[in-house]
Parts: sequence; C-alpha cells; structure tokens
Amino acid sequence: MAQRAVWLISHEPGTPLRGTVRFSRRYPTVEKRARVFNRASYVPIPEDGPFLKALLFELRLLDDDKDFVESRDSCSRINKTSIYGLLVGGEELWPVVAFLKNDMIYACVPLVEQTLSPRPPLISVSGVSQGFELLYGIQDFLYSGQKNDNELNTKLSQLPDLLLQACPFGTVLDANLQNSLDNTNFASVTQPQKQPAWKPGTYKGKPQVSISITEKVKSMQYDKQGVADTWQVVGTVTCKCDLEGIMPNVTISLSLPTNGSPLQDILVHPCVTSLDSAILTSSSIDAMDDSAFSGPYKFPFTPPLESFNLCYYTSQVPVPPILGFYQMKEEEVQLRITINLKLHESVKNNFEFCEAHIPFFNRGPITHLEYKTSFGQLEVFREKSLLIWIIVD
Amino acid sequence: MGPLSRDVWAQRLGAFRASPSAFMAGPEAEDLGRDLLGDLRSEKLSEQTKVSLLALSLEYPAQLWPDASAAEVAATSLLDTLVLLPPRPSALRRPLLLAATTALAVGGALGPTSGASCRLLPLLLGLAAGSDLGRGFVPASEQRPLQATACECLRELESCKPGLLGGSLGLLRGLLGQEGPVQPLSLLLSLALRNTLVLQSRAGAGLGALLTARVSPTGGGPWDWTLVEEGDGRLQPQAPSWPVAEEGEGERSLTAREHSPEEARELRAAVAQLLDTSYLLTPVAQAQLLWLLGWALRGLQGQPPALFKPQLVRLLGTAQLTLLHAVLALKAAFGEALFTAQDETLLLRRLTLAAQHPALPLSTHLFYLHCLLSFPENCPLGPEGEEAAPLLLGPQLCRGLLPSLLHEPMALLARLHLLCLLCAEDEEEEEKGQLPSPGHYLEELLAGLWQRAALEGGPRALATLCFQGSYLVAHCLAGQPTVLTPLIHGLAQLYRARPMLAPHFVDLLDHVDPELREPLKVVLRQEVVSRPGRDEALCWHLQMLARVADGDAQSATLNFLRAAAAHCTSWDLQQGLLQVCRALLRAGVGGGLVDLLQVLARQLEDPDGRDHARLYYILLAHLAGPKLGVALGPSLAAPALASSLVAENQGFVAALMVQEAPALIRLSVGSHEVKGPLPVLQLLPEALEPIYSLELRFRVEGQLYAPLGAVRVPYLCPGRPARPLLLPLQPRRPAPTRLDVHALYTTSTGLTCHVHLPPLFVNFADLFLPFPQPPEGAGLGFFEELWDSCLPEGAESRVWCPLGPQGLEGLVSRHLEPFVVVAQPPTSYYVAIHLPPDSKLLLRLEAALADGVPVALRTDDWAVLPLVGDYLRGLAAAV
Repeated sequence: MAQRAVWLISHEPGTPLRGTVRFSRRYPTVEKRARVFNRASYVPIPEDGPFLKALLFELRLLDDDKDFVESRDSCSRINKTSIYGLLVGGEELWPVVAFLKNDMIYACVPLVEQTLSPRPPLISVSGVSQGFELLYGIQDFLYSGQKNDNELNTKLSQLPDLLLQACPFGTVLDANLQNSLDNTNFASVTQPQKQPAWKPGTYKGKPQVSISITEKVKSMQYDKQGVADTWQVVGTVTCKCDLEGIMPNVTISLSLPTNGSPLQDILVHPCVTSLDSAILTSSSIDAMDDSAFSGPYKFPFTPPLESFNLCYYTSQVPVPPILGFYQMKEEEVQLRITINLKLHESVKNNFEFCEAHIPFFNRGPITHLEYKTSFGQLEVFREKSLLIWIIVD
Repeated sequence: MGPLSRDVWAQRLGAFRASPSAFMAGPEAEDLGRDLLGDLRSEKLSEQTKVSLLALSLEYPAQLWPDASAAEVAATSLLDTLVLLPPRPSALRRPLLLAATTALAVGGALGPTSGASCRLLPLLLGLAAGSDLGRGFVPASEQRPLQATACECLRELESCKPGLLGGSLGLLRGLLGQEGPVQPLSLLLSLALRNTLVLQSRAGAGLGALLTARVSPTGGGPWDWTLVEEGDGRLQPQAPSWPVAEEGEGERSLTAREHSPEEARELRAAVAQLLDTSYLLTPVAQAQLLWLLGWALRGLQGQPPALFKPQLVRLLGTAQLTLLHAVLALKAAFGEALFTAQDETLLLRRLTLAAQHPALPLSTHLFYLHCLLSFPENCPLGPEGEEAAPLLLGPQLCRGLLPSLLHEPMALLARLHLLCLLCAEDEEEEEKGQLPSPGHYLEELLAGLWQRAALEGGPRALATLCFQGSYLVAHCLAGQPTVLTPLIHGLAQLYRARPMLAPHFVDLLDHVDPELREPLKVVLRQEVVSRPGRDEALCWHLQMLARVADGDAQSATLNFLRAAAAHCTSWDLQQGLLQVCRALLRAGVGGGLVDLLQVLARQLEDPDGRDHARLYYILLAHLAGPKLGVALGPSLAAPALASSLVAENQGFVAALMVQEAPALIRLSVGSHEVKGPLPVLQLLPEALEPIYSLELRFRVEGQLYAPLGAVRVPYLCPGRPARPLLLPLQPRRPAPTRLDVHALYTTSTGLTCHVHLPPLFVNFADLFLPFPQPPEGAGLGFFEELWDSCLPEGAESRVWCPLGPQGLEGLVSRHLEPFVVVAQPPTSYYVAIHLPPDSKLLLRLEAALADGVPVALRTDDWAVLPLVGDYLRGLAAAV
C-alpha cells in the first residue's frame, strides 16, 4: 500500500527539457521492501533527470509528432489507464501512476508486494489507489484557492514538511494535506479521546451550517433533424459546518422542487454515515419512469472542519436552460462567427452573471477583431485565443 | 572541521539532490554522512536547516551510510542528538525519530544485537504508550504528535521485520481502548495482528495470550525476535495481490492453523474493535485497514466475514477511490461469503456509475473501467487473469460506458475494449434487444475514427488512436467476419483518402492475426496498384506495396511499378521502388520482374539505384528460390533496428560473400599407404554439421613440393564415415613439410563459409616409395648395385637404431616392410627406399643386439642424412 517515490513535474512546452522536477520524495524503507518483493523483476527508482525524460516521452509530451515513431505510435501500444511502464536505462519501471493537470504532472510509483513478471492485474495492487489519492490530495492542496505562481511556489515549498506529516514512510496517512497543515497549527491543543483523524481540531463559536448547491449543465446542440441534442446536469452540494463538539451529528435533507427531476448517480463524502438504498441505486443508467426515487434525499454525517463536497449527483432535466446557435465561416485568413443565444422559456432570467466563452483551438493568437453585439460587451484574450461575451454582469 | 554554514549546506544539498550518483562519485561524498550527523548538534545552524539535513537522511540513507555498521553508528548518533535536545518544543524530534528508524531499517542494522535498536524500540513503544519518559523529554505540546509518530515508526519497523511487535498486541489493544490516538494505533495494531496471524501459524504461539497480555513497555522486551526469526526475516505482503495470493505459501499456512474457541473470540473482538472505530480514520487509512484485516481473516475459521458488512453500505456510497478499491479487495478475499449475487450487482452498479461520473477525474474513470474488466466475480467464467466483462454487467448497465469520439484517447480505448467484449458476447448469444446492437454501435464508432484520421493535416495522435482502436477490435473480435469485413473495407477507404498513413498500416499488418492480415493485404494491394502510379503520394504507395506485394496479382503490381518507375526521380523514391522489387523477389516472382529490373538497371538516374537494380537482376537470374530467399532475408548478423539499407546490405554480404566461420570440419591424416609413382597423403575428413560442396585447398610452406591441387567433396554428414581423400604429393626435394589447409563449404542455410584449418604435417616417412621389385633371386645383386652407385657423390653413415620389445623383425615388418629387398629373418634386412623426386636411401640392418641394431646406410643425397638419423632413432618409440 506504500509508495516508493512521488514527483511533481511542471510541464513546460518550448523549453529544452520540456519540464522541470518541482518536487520529488523517495521512500528508502519501501524501496528496500520492493527489492525483496520484486526479486529478479526489481527495477530501482531512477534519479530525477532520467525519470523526467522517460515520463515525458511516455506521456507524449516530448516530441512533435511529425513522423511515425514505432515505440510511441504502434497500434499495439495501448494504454487504457493512467498507469504506465517507463523505459529507464533499458529496464521498465512499472507501475508509474501519472497524470497531467494544469500543466503539472503528478506521478508516483506504488509498491507491488510480489514479483512483477508476470505483471499482477492493477486492481490487485493496493498501492495504486493509495497513490492516486495522494496525488489528488497534492493537486487539491496546490490549486485550492491558488491565484498566481507565487502562491503555487509557496505551497510547493510547504510540501516537504506536509508530506513528512501526511506520508512519512511512504504509506499515506491523510490525503488531505490541508489537514496536515492544520494539524501543525492545532498541535498545542490537547485533543480529547476519539478525535477523528480527519478533524485536526474542534470549532469554538457560534454554530452555523452553510450549504451551497452548484449545478453545471453540459449540452451539445446540433440544430439538425435526426440528431438529438444532449445535455447533462452535474450537481455538487458543498457544506461548511461550524459546530461545537468533537462529533456533532448533522443530517441534510434535499427535496426536489415541484416536477423536479430526480437526483441520480449520487456519490457522497466519506463522512456520511449511512445511506438509503434507494439513493445508492438511483442511477442514470436506468430508463426514467415514475417509479424513480424522488426524495427526500437524506444525508446523515459528522462534518469535518473544512468546507467539503457532501455529495455529487446528476440529473436529467427535460430541457437545456439555454439554447444556442453557433456558426463559423472561414474566409481566407479571417473567421466570421455568428452566435445566437436564447433562454429556454421555462427558465427565468434572473442571472447574477452570464458569460459566453468562445475559445479557438490550434489557431494561434487573435490578431484582429471586429465585432457587433446585440447586448453586453465582448472581451478579448488575445494570447489565450479566447473571446468572452459578457451578457449579464 | 567546524560546522558548515547554512549556505554551504544549501549548496551541498542542492548538488546532491540534482544527481545523487554524480555527487557520491565526487570528492565530497565521503564526508557527507559524517558532516550531517555532526552538524545536527551544531548550535549555529537553524532548526530549519537541520530539518532539511534530516529530510536528506530520510530519503538517501543508503547513500549516506551504506553498510550496517555505518547505519548503526548513524542511528546511535541521531538518538544521542534526540536525547540532548533542550526540554522545549522543537521541530527536530519528529524527524529525528523518523531518521533513526529509517537508518536502522534501510541499513539492515535492526536486530536484537544492535545497540541502537535496543535503544530505539523501547523509546518508540514508550512514546506510543504515552508514558512518562523522564522530565522534560517530551514537552506537553509535542506529546500527541510524537505519540503518533512513534506509532508510525513502529509500523514501519514491523513492515520491515514482520512479527517484531507480536508480543505487544495486548498492549496496543489496551492503548486503543483508552485514550490513544485512534488512527496510528489502529493501523499499527492491524498490521501487527496480521503479521502475527501469518507467523504464529508456524511458530505455534498462542494468539489468545498475545492478544490479552499486557506487557509493560518499560519492562524488558516486548520484542518478539523469535517470531521475527520464525518468519526467516521474510517480508509479508500486507495486501497480497490476487489471484497469486491464493496459491502463496503464506496464505496456505495462514489457514493451516486452527484457533481455539477462546482465541477465535478474542480475535473477533479485536477485529470488531478495529472496524468499529474505522470511521474515525481518514479514508486512505480506512482503506489500508480493510485491506489488512480482510486478507488477514480470509479463510480463518470462526471469523465470519460478516464482521465487515456494517462498513460496506457506507463505503459503497462514496466517491473515494481508495475506499471503493478496498471494497473490491474484500470482494476478492471473501467472494460469495461476503457478497451475495445481489450485492455483486449493486457493487457493479456503483462501479459502472463511478466509471463515468462527470464529477470524477479521468484517471479515476479509467481505473474504475479497469476494475470492471478485472472484476473479482463470484462465479468467473473466463480464464483467470484475462480482462473480461463481468457476467452481471449487462448491456443495459454498459450503456453509459460506450465509447464516443469525444472521449480522451485512453478513455476511448478503455471503453472500446469493453464494447468489443460486449460484441463478442452478443455474437454468442444472438440476442436481439430494443437497444441498438453493440456491433452496430461499434461499426459507427470505427467509421468515425477512420473519418477523423482521414482528415487532411490532422494530428498524428488521431491517426494513432484510430489504428489502436482498429487493432483492439481486430484483436478482440478476430473470429467474427461480420466485424472484420467492414473493418477491412473501412481501412481500405482510409488508405484511399490518406496514403500518408502507410507507416501505420504497415505497423498494423505487422501486429494483427492472419485472419485480418491476409485479406487486408489483398485489399490494400488492390488499392495501390489500381492507381496510375504517378500521384504525389507515390512514396507512401511504394512503402505500402513493399509490405503487401506478394506472388499474387503479379501483372497488376508490375504494371504499376513500370508506370511508377518513370516518376521515381529522387533517390528515396527509387529506393522505395527497389524495396518493392525486393519484396517481389522474395515472394518468388520471376518473369515480368526480370524485364523490369533490366529496365531499371539501365534507366534509373541514381547510380546507387541502378546498382541495386542490377544486383537484384543478377540475383534473380542466378540464384535458385531458396538461396534467393536467404540472400534477401533479414540478416542474422544485423541488429533488428539497423536501417533497412544496412540490413539489406548485410543480408547480401551474409548470403553472397564468403563467411569466416568457426570450423565445422576436422581433418586428420590416415595411415601411410604405398601405391603408385607418387607419395599419397590419406586424409580423413569429419563434419560436425551437414555441409555441402566442400573444397579443401592446400599450400606447402616454401617451394619444397609442387603446388597441390584442391580436393572436393560434394556432401559431408556428421556421424557418417566419409571415404578417405587421397592427396598426391609432388616433392621437389625429399623433405618433410607442413601443409596449410583452407576449407570452403556451404552450410545447410545456404551460406558459404571459409575456414582456416589447423596445418597438416607431411613426415619424412610419408615420402617413402619402393623400388620396382627385382625378379625372384636377383634381390641381392640389385641391392648391391644400388649400394655401390651411391658413392662417391653420396654419403655413407652408420646409425644406432634402438629396438623396442618387438625386436628387429617386428620393427621391420611394421615400418619398412614394403621396402625390403633382401631379407634373412630374423637377423638381416637390406632395405632400398626411393625418395621422390629422384633420391635413394639404402639401409643394411644386421647383427642386432638386445636393445638395438647398427644400421649401415648409404644415400645419394647427403642432405637426407640428418632426417634418416632422426627417423631411425625415432622408430622404436613410434607405434
């Protein structure tokens, strides 16, 4: 379940190495176990330089793809997970858990407690999910509330100390690094017994619970006979509970509005203590009918200190809230774009803000712009090749 | 040397981290470990710097202290530093504990005889128990974090030395029940419990006693080195991988021992205690606990897996990867005992849901998809270890997991794999539902992939994805004509639209099974040869044709090539053209190709191209099929990655040039036979492998003999005695010599080899020829006449010839029989020898004594005298 090493690598296209190792941490006690468990198939953890090169190649971030390169483009090299085998010094280091997010590559190598040839199925390697969780934790820590590069650098400089708390020997104790940070701050407080490990302290003050619900609608509209438009609603219920006591019990109950579509695909935070089986089974896979569970959706839980996502859900609303029409014509070096947006008649026009983002991929920066809007104004982000039409501000 | 400043250390640490191996090869390497330990106690360095020094020792102890004794010294020094810290809060206590633990564990110093171990272990257990370790040793504010850290250190030591804490189970249980920090103690206890369960089944120690015994942490030794030794210091997988674990020795021994009812009850209580408070652990720690306990209790009598049931409902609802993964581990460990068919369906449902939930990141989706295809089913049908769609995962559940062109490449491939598996099942069941069939969906998706890859100027990644998808489909659905036919058709269309993808097609042809390869080759060849042979994509067509051309449809192929030849103006196009010719040569195409090659040898602008064309022409005209195949086949000598031109040239070299090879034949000289007018050497060849067309060539050192002709043997086979070969010698002077021997032969693989064999020696006696036999009774006169003719030009001598046990008669009959002219056995022999070209040697052997015979000799060639002397003296010894 332990990790042999962890890396953070910033992806820097255009630079000679195309990346820099921003942070790395090795776990020698785990490495020692790996050598014993893996026996003849043991491949040592490489130094940062060779690892960086091998990982960027494997993630296809190293070279342009003008020519066919068999070791990269062969049809039989099929990777279906974010877990790779890296060729380092003629040997293959496996399994390397790695993913790219916001120009940062997160990577770790979980311990496999057996020989690696033949490779055991990933599902049977406990360190894989532990590694993912650690990397997600680092990602959340680096990018929660982060505004600029300075903040990122500050947070990166905190990582060694935080991992000393959250993962001192390679076995992850807490993927929530913010907790580890708070732990150091709460350290002076004598903790009473049965304090949850995910709650570094207790709250003192006026009790209050805040809940916010965010829904995102993703829609594809074809404006074409025979092709059905699609849309999907993804909701997140976020909570912040300021309550005294070690383990206050809270139950949040969500009810649908009249004729509201049922919530489906519900995933909850681990602090939720029990779930109605109807909530567990309600799924968008099933055909919709009247028998679908329509609430109330009850979530009993003991809250952590910080703001957290109590649950995620999807919902199949009958209509998309905004209908759009988009047309692009290419005339030599110019693009002529027409965009019409229309609010669905069942949706009320009481937006706090409303923007339309119009990105242009693979076309380089915008050099010249002429526009006419029927309402609101247009902002240009030339370097990012992005137009933002601010409709309600 | 005094302590280094903060900046010097920062610089040194930076240099080390940039490349530890380079630093350790440098001049500063030796002192680093010692300086680091010394400067930890320096008062000039800030705590921050010291923490960074400790961080280095946590990551690279093996480099700093490479052997057990150095590690022991380092750990002792770290513990001293810890004890000497002033009694106020310090950021150093935690890292010092971690560093001492790491140094001992990594350096291999941990053991009952190590002083540092004997100091560290009681200290850790004391800290973990929260006991008073002396005034001011642990400031109150640090008590809690140090307690947790001590537990972590103990857990790591237990991981590296399983069984170490076997004697502390009772103590740990007690602490967990009281005020101890829940998570560190739970994890430590569950690991120690698991290891004890594995080891005590061998050691036979009573589990019940271990679980209830309260050993005082300050009293002497709760360390169970005996249990550690029972385990032979073998590491125990904390979460064994399945299905390997099922056959593992550790697992078998785990189930071997039965517990008494009391022990079983005590164990159940301990596990229940751990599970009940598991809710207080962080999600990752909960998952670890479940893996540990699940695999520890698997197969144990009296430990119903139902203990885990209350946790499952809570865990199934979460989005947390580790928790769902731990549930799958429990599923794998207990199967039907914990999960009924309904539970299995629910778990699959949750997994399917999580594998596509828009709130989760892509890498999580992909992992869940993998889990679905490797799902530990209650009743698996397919072969173990192969990815398959679980039985209960019907098409309805999979509807949300179908691939679409909008997915990321990895997601698309993962979902495509699932779709292929569904198609395979669908084919078997022939079930017609209301939903569009998976096969139909697959067809549409592939069409989309091809269409996208066909876009002019599209990125290579899209083409790669398209071919990966096609390969996956071909691989999973190889036996299904309903899938393969449209696949071939679609790929052909893609080639028509974008011939520059030829390298991808060649790669695909190299990897797919013959079921797809052969028909695809035919279609692609038609696609190429039906073109006029002069479009811009000619280089791709030629590359493609080089892979797909074979003996079929020769005339169309040759027509295309003839048309294309006129447009092959550049070197690379000409090489492409010649590559196709080469492929045709290999396929055994004759007739029309001869004409084409002749034309090319004349017309091509590039001299290299003309040479190649001529070479191919010559090969085609002169070599028979099998030899041609060898000549053009991949060279064994050339590494696989060399460029095709190099490989090709080496192929020719191998096949057409003579190879220097290790000797596959041995040659020896047989017995001396006196026949005919010339001395003849009898050679006995022996082959180690079948060889053909053997030609032996000989060279005489100096000008002593006339040049020797070669000897030829059509075929030699090992184990079958060959006829002796006769080599007539033409000496110019009667002298022994050495023959240099070279052999040329062809191996059964068609290669011609050259070998320099060890030299052969022609002895003086090998040259002896008899004089024509005089008429009966005239021998003595004939001999006397020869005898007298030798002088005065010749030479006369007397030589002592030692006799062996066989006596004079034996010696003569053995060595000189053919040359005896007058014999009065057993006392007197007159011997006349003709030495080619025209010398004579006459011997009188008379009045033999017991140990030798005096030999009177005359010769007309004084130069042979020393040779005769040597010869006669050596006769007795010669066998």
